[in-house]
Amino acid sequence: MTSVRNGFFIALTVVLALATPTIMRAQGADEQLLLHPKSDSWPGYHGDYSGRRHSALKQITPQNVNNLSLAWAFQTNQSALIKSSPLLVDGILYFTVPDNIWAIDARSGHQIWHYNKPTSEGEHIGNRGVAMYKGYLFFAAPDAHLISLNAKDGSVRWKVTVADVTKGYWTSMAPLVVGNHVLVGVSGDFDNLSGYIRAIDPETGATQWQWNSTPPAGTPNQTTGGMTWMTGTYDPDLNLVYWGTGNPTPVLNGSTRPGDDLYTCSIVALNPDTGKLAWAFQVSPHDTHDWDAVETPVLVDGGFHGEPKKMLMQTSRNGYFFVLDRTNGKSLLTAPYGPVNWALGIDKEGHPIPNPAKEPAPDGRLIAPDEGGLTNYRSPSFDTKNGLFVVDAHPSWSVYFAKPADGLYGWAGADYDVWGKGVIEAIDYQTGKIRWSHEVGPGGSGAGVLTTDSGLTITGDAMGNFLALDSSDGKTLWHAGSGSQIVSSPITYELDGRQYILTSSGSVMFAWALPQS
Amino acid sequence: MNFRQSARDCSVLLTAVFFAGLASSAAQSPAKQASVAPPAAKSYPPELVQQGGALFRKDCSFCHGRDAGGGESGPDLTRSKLVTADVDGDKIGPVVRNGRPDKGMPPFDRTDQQIASLAAFIHTQQNNAVSTGGRRGAGGRKGVDVSDLQTGNVEAGKKYFEGAGGCSSCHSPTGDLAGVASRYQGLELEERMLYPKRAKPKVSVTVSSGQTVDGTLAYLDEFTVGLTDSDGSYHSWRIRDVKFKVDPALNAHVELFPKYSDDDVHNLMAYLQTLR
Repeated sequence: MTSVRNGFFIALTVVLALATPTIMRAQGADEQLLLHPKSDSWPGYHGDYSGRRHSALKQITPQNVNNLSLAWAFQTNQSALIKSSPLLVDGILYFTVPDNIWAIDARSGHQIWHYNKPTSEGEHIGNRGVAMYKGYLFFAAPDAHLISLNAKDGSVRWKVTVADVTKGYWTSMAPLVVGNHVLVGVSGDFDNLSGYIRAIDPETGATQWQWNSTPPAGTPNQTTGGMTWMTGTYDPDLNLVYWGTGNPTPVLNGSTRPGDDLYTCSIVALNPDTGKLAWAFQVSPHDTHDWDAVETPVLVDGGFHGEPKKMLMQTSRNGYFFVLDRTNGKSLLTAPYGPVNWALGIDKEGHPIPNPAKEPAPDGRLIAPDEGGLTNYRSPSFDTKNGLFVVDAHPSWSVYFAKPADGLYGWAGADYDVWGKGVIEAIDYQTGKIRWSHEVGPGGSGAGVLTTDSGLTITGDAMGNFLALDSSDGKTLWHAGSGSQIVSSPITYELDGRQYILTSSGSVMFAWALPQS
Repeated sequence: MNFRQSARDCSVLLTAVFFAGLASSAAQSPAKQASVAPPAAKSYPPELVQQGGALFRKDCSFCHGRDAGGGESGPDLTRSKLVTADVDGDKIGPVVRNGRPDKGMPPFDRTDQQIASLAAFIHTQQNNAVSTGGRRGAGGRKGVDVSDLQTGNVEAGKKYFEGAGGCSSCHSPTGDLAGVASRYQGLELEERMLYPKRAKPKVSVTVSSGQTVDGTLAYLDEFTVGLTDSDGSYHSWRIRDVKFKVDPALNAHVELFPKYSDDDVHNLMAYLQTLR
């Protein structure tokens, strides 16, 4: 009897051991995970370092996506819109709005902890998310501080000042962890201030280096600005980080900053260990339309006109699609991807040549695109399967004004958008031609784009519908009305053999998956 | 920068508003604003204005400017008719709490006291803007005056209206546009001329029985079409179940954008300003 009972228990134990994987110790985001994210993780803002926002997952396909259903939804119960891209590490999702971080179980959507520390200073316009290094999170607060937290419980380890909020700086971006550096950028546009990228020690919070995009305020005939609003990308083989810089200030009046205004509206390549500039490519010389170049610098390896190339691609806010050789910053292609009327042409090095007659004027200048640009901060995706760069574009027109009475500080003029719409565009990177396009509504959509190896393009429209499109032709395969504005970029992951697609709208995070049997 | 959403963040704006860059302008001409401004500006307790200012800088200033004079994508509130008509937050409060989803402004859940402080701050900024002749505080978006928009040639504008612009194929100076310059001035007239954002196109929906329902387009995405009929009732259908046709007249405005020179815009504006 006893032996039978023991035998039963032994058998049960064996079955349990077979059925239950060993409980893994939480690893956090170690260097290997950041360099080679597994399918059950999304350890950085872009997922991997490339900025492609493309997943190899294939469980959800064009054939079965019409069965996609809600796995769970998480409500922040706050009015702030979710603009962050979640991280997923060790089965836990981390996402943010200004002053708030949530840690959520990626399987069930229930809350593990919530960091909620209101700040009164700095613009609270949005937060793009956290970064992770080992078991630590890094969060940029509106009052221009970088806060490090323990990922286990959200307790604060340290807090350091990144910029002086009283001068008009704030922070909203998701930091980028490269090696033992936390790279942080700064925001600001209403003051004549210099932009910069700062590398911070993830253990101590000490500053390691700082790269300034423009000279100090007050330098004669020199620009200020070049804010570093968004998260860059990284090529570990070349050991270069790629970052977009913002527009010059004064914003709409360029008279006090003659010339190109380096390094505003530029894509820069920096050594992450030293902050030394390797090269820079300016996408908008002498900008007077607020078109920062901070849209994701997407890294793609492949053939360009028959030659293997390490490329960098950006659909820039100024309306041009750029393909660069990312080893040296030389132009491979510059082509408009929508209505653009502010340039006289493209110079030999691939830079658009601004038309002085299209600078803001006292009686107004009709300009395409509008101030929001032909695209903005939401992520594009590079679909490696079809060789297409897919972007949420915003064909648009506006009127720009500036007169001497507007002064030479901050905005220094006025602009009013006249008309715009949203179009998801799939661009052939070899030619800049648009392979397919999909209209997403008047005004424009705020949704970013995710593509998958199975042939899906996940995005959203201006009315708040989440959309799954066929990546080969842009046709709609699935949709769900979300009930609010979509102003974030989707991610995907696989847990326990089940693929999830995460999208947010308003203040709600939605997880979608195929029904379980 | 972005958003600044534009869109960037204009959706919180901006988002998207800057996104994002979705918000539109409700700026008024100063002439009009002056005519409706209250004769004696009300003053508010300094502590209330200070509280409202702190709240405004945190949640509103990216789009509307730190001085409420307009920022990235949000309108200049010191020239807003709604602000002028507001009494202690009775008009401002509902906009703050409900947002303006069609223009990319999100709702903000704020207490009565917070609304009162915001209203006190915005009115104080409006009073300051009037008393300084419209000069704006440092950094924010600036105003556009009626006098800025007088560089065009009336005759050339009339010629463009009747000829190259194709305007006269839909509009008439003695019909729908009679007196238009009395109804709208300055930037508001120019914005409406370039694209009438508030215009709702007509739509005709034919249902499976063959019956046709006409109305004003109330909603349209890839999946659903909705209209408001002549009784003011809302109806909607799945697009796969019906045929429908939206009046394409507004597209003529969009088709003109790449054809306009800046002189064409200024001349057309000069001509429209004669239609009083």
